[in-house]
Amino acid sequence: MATMILNGQEYTLPDNEKLNAIQAAQRFGVEIPYYCWHPALSVVANCRMCEIEVGSKDPKTGEIKMIPKMVPGCQTPARDGTVLVTNSTKVKDHQKMIMEFLLLNHPLDCPVCDQAGECGLQDYSYEYGQANHRFVEERNVNPRKDVSDLIQLNQDRCIMCTRCVRFTREITQTSELQVTRRGSHAEIDIFPGIELDNPLAGNVVDLCPVGALLDKDFLHKQRVWFLAKHDSICAGCSTGCNISAEENRGQLWRFKPRYNPNVNDYWICDAGRYSYKVANDVNLLNSAYLREHGVLGTISIDKALTSVDQSLKATSKDGGKIGAVLSPFLTVEEAFLLSTYIKQLSANSVLALGPVPIEGEDKTYHPDKTTGRTGDVSFVVPRPFTIHAEKCPNRHGVEAVLKHFQGEVIEFKTFTNEVARADYAAIYLTAGGLEPFLDQGVADLLRASTKMLIVQDVHVTPLAQLADIVLPGATFAEKSGSFANADRRLQSFDAALAPRDGSLADLDIFAILLGKSVAPILSNEILAELAEIIPDFAVAKGGKLPEFGAVLGTTPASTTSGSAERFADSWTKHRISSVGSYA
Amino acid sequence: MAAFEPVLSRNWNVAQSHTLPVYESRGGYQAARKALTQMDPDGVVNLIKDSELRGRGGAGFPCGLKWSFLPKDRKETLMCINADESEPATFNNRILMEKDPHQLIEGIIIGCFATKATAAYLYVRFEYIKAYQILERAIDEARAKGYLGKNIFGSGFDLEIWVHRGAGAYICGEETGLIESLEGKRGWPRIKPPFPAVEGAFKKPTVVNNVETLACVPHIVERGADWFKSMGTPKSYGPKLYCISGHVNKQTCVELPLGITCRELIEVHGQGVWKGRKAKAVVPGGISMGLLSADELDTPLDFEAIRKPGCLGLGTAAVTVIDDQTSIVDYLYNCARFFAHESCGQCTPCREGTAWIYKTMKRIKLGGGRMEDLTVLGGIQANLGITPGTTICGLADGAAWPIKNALAKFRPELEEYIKTHQDPRYAVTPLQTAITMGSPTTAAVTPVSIGMSSPTGALRSPHSS
Ligand SMILES: Cc1cc2nc3c(=O)[nH]c(=O)nc-3n(C[C@H](O)[C@H](O)[C@H](O)COP(=O)(O)O)c2cc1C
Ligand code: SF4
Ligand code: SF4
Repeated sequence: MATMILNGQEYTLPDNEKLNAIQAAQRFGVEIPYYCWHPALSVVANCRMCEIEVGSKDPKTGEIKMIPKMVPGCQTPARDGTVLVTNSTKVKDHQKMIMEFLLLNHPLDCPVCDQAGECGLQDYSYEYGQANHRFVEERNVNPRKDVSDLIQLNQDRCIMCTRCVRFTREITQTSELQVTRRGSHAEIDIFPGIELDNPLAGNVVDLCPVGALLDKDFLHKQRVWFLAKHDSICAGCSTGCNISAEENRGQLWRFKPRYNPNVNDYWICDAGRYSYKVANDVNLLNSAYLREHGVLGTISIDKALTSVDQSLKATSKDGGKIGAVLSPFLTVEEAFLLSTYIKQLSANSVLALGPVPIEGEDKTYHPDKTTGRTGDVSFVVPRPFTIHAEKCPNRHGVEAVLKHFQGEVIEFKTFTNEVARADYAAIYLTAGGLEPFLDQGVADLLRASTKMLIVQDVHVTPLAQLADIVLPGATFAEKSGSFANADRRLQSFDAALAPRDGSLADLDIFAILLGKSVAPILSNEILAELAEIIPDFAVAKGGKLPEFGAVLGTTPASTTSGSAERFADSWTKHRISSVGSYA
Repeated sequence: MAAFEPVLSRNWNVAQSHTLPVYESRGGYQAARKALTQMDPDGVVNLIKDSELRGRGGAGFPCGLKWSFLPKDRKETLMCINADESEPATFNNRILMEKDPHQLIEGIIIGCFATKATAAYLYVRFEYIKAYQILERAIDEARAKGYLGKNIFGSGFDLEIWVHRGAGAYICGEETGLIESLEGKRGWPRIKPPFPAVEGAFKKPTVVNNVETLACVPHIVERGADWFKSMGTPKSYGPKLYCISGHVNKQTCVELPLGITCRELIEVHGQGVWKGRKAKAVVPGGISMGLLSADELDTPLDFEAIRKPGCLGLGTAAVTVIDDQTSIVDYLYNCARFFAHESCGQCTPCREGTAWIYKTMKRIKLGGGRMEDLTVLGGIQANLGITPGTTICGLADGAAWPIKNALAKFRPELEEYIKTHQDPRYAVTPLQTAITMGSPTTAAVTPVSIGMSSPTGALRSPHSS
């Protein structure tokens, strides 16, 4: 059993995991401050913030020998017999010195800086710095520049940690960023005319410990302390990146990645990052509609639901065939309730999978830690990151539900072909995608082939215009539930926004149709039910999933890999817990 | 002591000494032939170990020991020859390369044979255009003669030497900065471990040696370790090329046994301080090493004794004399400017500290000095290099040492300078001081708000031109 000594106390090191001093200390509740180190990037030890006293204990004599000089914690492996001192005067004085040096040329423009509130300089100044400094010289003022259409670099705020540079070299391997000039005039820059525009570029903003790299989309829009943060999942593709959806005054302002070693590591793609805008669209469906005498008119949602229920029941009583289309944007809980409802109406109702949007091809980034600097790379653990061509979050989850209810998955194409033969009396179509469903041909076909067309969506689409009843469902941000990603990993997420005026969360719609309850329904209760009924979902027993999700059809223990701990830079830590939830 | 016979510089005054025929006519390539045909690599390593040859590049690390750090099971080894010679006032490598390139090539052949390196990269300082051309020609000559290439001297040993020109950065003389630069990257020194011997250029085990270190090697092979150890002082053996510059009558590079005193070097070889003046201070081995005061001129210039008066080390043994009419402030200002310009900028203390020292020295020089600046400078130098382990490479130590030594040895002069050189245009404003202290007192702010047009103006240092 490997043990190490941290500030005079002995701790047992975890097996099968290579940790450096920073990570090991973190496990044992001791913070070693750092800037340049990042668990997925090569170790460069250039900020010098994490310097500590390091020594080793002789296994035989028990004698402790300290290295006479201070050593950066990031490059110090935590091994059996390692001795770390992080709280000595020497270490504290060193931290004060680094903070003073880092702030020499830093413009203290926190009042207008986006990073304020989640800034490594602010937090560490408070914890490890000092109130005054000895510097009376003129500051260097480095220029501000654009590094792409989306990202601005305020070079005056940069602390030269080179995280951004290493990200573009080691993770995306596109190398757009580099250091130019030397000494205190060193700058981060792009090659002239070659922008930082790779699909993962936005991550450099998250990596930057200070307010140097800025997302122009978010620039000066919100103070971060006003943002309520909700653990969410990106609906942009079937990767299912874990995100923090950050909202204030009923609007989403940005998405930030959340660590999940089994899904997205520390990153999200730019398409996903900016997909939050869909939920803010003022033109989303804001009322239920009912067609009377050929004209669609607004109607209260409970009347609309009563009308749906009555007409479907009547159809089924008359022996009319009912088809339901389950969008791959539905959560598994929603899919479960809708399927239950439709199958209850009539055992020979048909459940089909909604259209699965595909765009381009899957793109995987295979980070290469050997492209970084030399040194011990054993505790650098970057994982591949894939952007999937399948632009919906839950095909696998919906399919698993469909298979349970009718043993097979009917693709949308097959379904429309069947509809063309016109033997359906009613069709209940759910959509709710990021992009509106715009296929006029399919819309006309569905309309022409059925008597009763019910459309549940968030967008105003040509199909909705043709429907008999339109139900305003929830956007990805307005609902909670679970998605199964491309690897069939089931992950739960919280709602970030309250249902917009005039709409009702899809889960509530289905619950009301099922006559379950009129009170708000909790997605984890439905998930618990699902776990009991469908064997594939047994991993979600009790409606709970492990920290990093679980693969359908497996047992929870075998599905997590990597560090069991959530990683976040300390200055962004408050993003971890959601402030509140509308679920 | 027996009469000293120069070996490293023995061909310097010979006509056409840079050509192969002349070099061979003076016994050249015999040592390489001997090593490759009569010795085995470990034998050469042991011989160098026995000779206690210490690196001439600055750090004085035992050469044989460095060679034996290479992993035993290595498949490929590379050699980098450090000819980046950028330490101010140092020019012995340059003469070695321009006057006797074959001596260096012979040293490289033996060094590579000993370390089993099959490729050698000669990293030449950008500004050494002549040395670069001479080396290229010499390498061609040697290759044509079969001294480079395949199966050298029929020993089955292959070697190619590639000359790589730097791009004009002091930091690329630091061994890992050199390696990064050689790999085509920005010359940012690497963290250690791993040391280059384990993982160096192109991730292969790499030996980095200075030009002069390798130039010593053929002579040790030829004459033996005992001959080498017959010169010098304990722990510092062999001949050394001393550069003398600054305020002396004769600026030159001479070969002498290690351990000659600074005084002898100046008086005998530099022919005394110029214009009949006295020396105020002497830089013992490149500006990174600190300063000797006039009282310390009897210090032997070897790897050990130089530490006693508080210098960092022997460095490159490039002695610069500062006469008694030169201000230490000017000297420190120039040093500070150099290091602020040459810091690569990755380590926080070095990047910010060197620039801070420079700005402070500039202000003192212009007449804005305050007594407390000396305390501040004392603090910064401690943060930079005097506290061990605060930075990746030794540049920060080098930047700190002149300040450290000057504060210890020339404090009265610095204080006097500050007292007598006051120019209100460059003075620190009361508001600046108050902001620094984190608590603007009324006393400090009031005169500013009356005297200056706007407080924002006061935030800007007046000497920004
Ligand atoms: C900032 C800095 C600059 C250096 N510049 C040189 C140089 O120009 N030439 C050199 O030979 N060594 C230089 N060195 C020393 C090298 O790092 C290294 O110790 C040397 O090349 C090893 O060779 P040696 O063992 O043969 O002396 C420098 C070191 C530092 C820290
Ligand atoms: S821009 Fe930000 S991430 Fe990049 S080096 Fe500067 S501080 Fe670090
Ligand atoms: S000490 Fe200075 S020169 Fe050396 S690596 Fe650090 S910043 Fe660069």
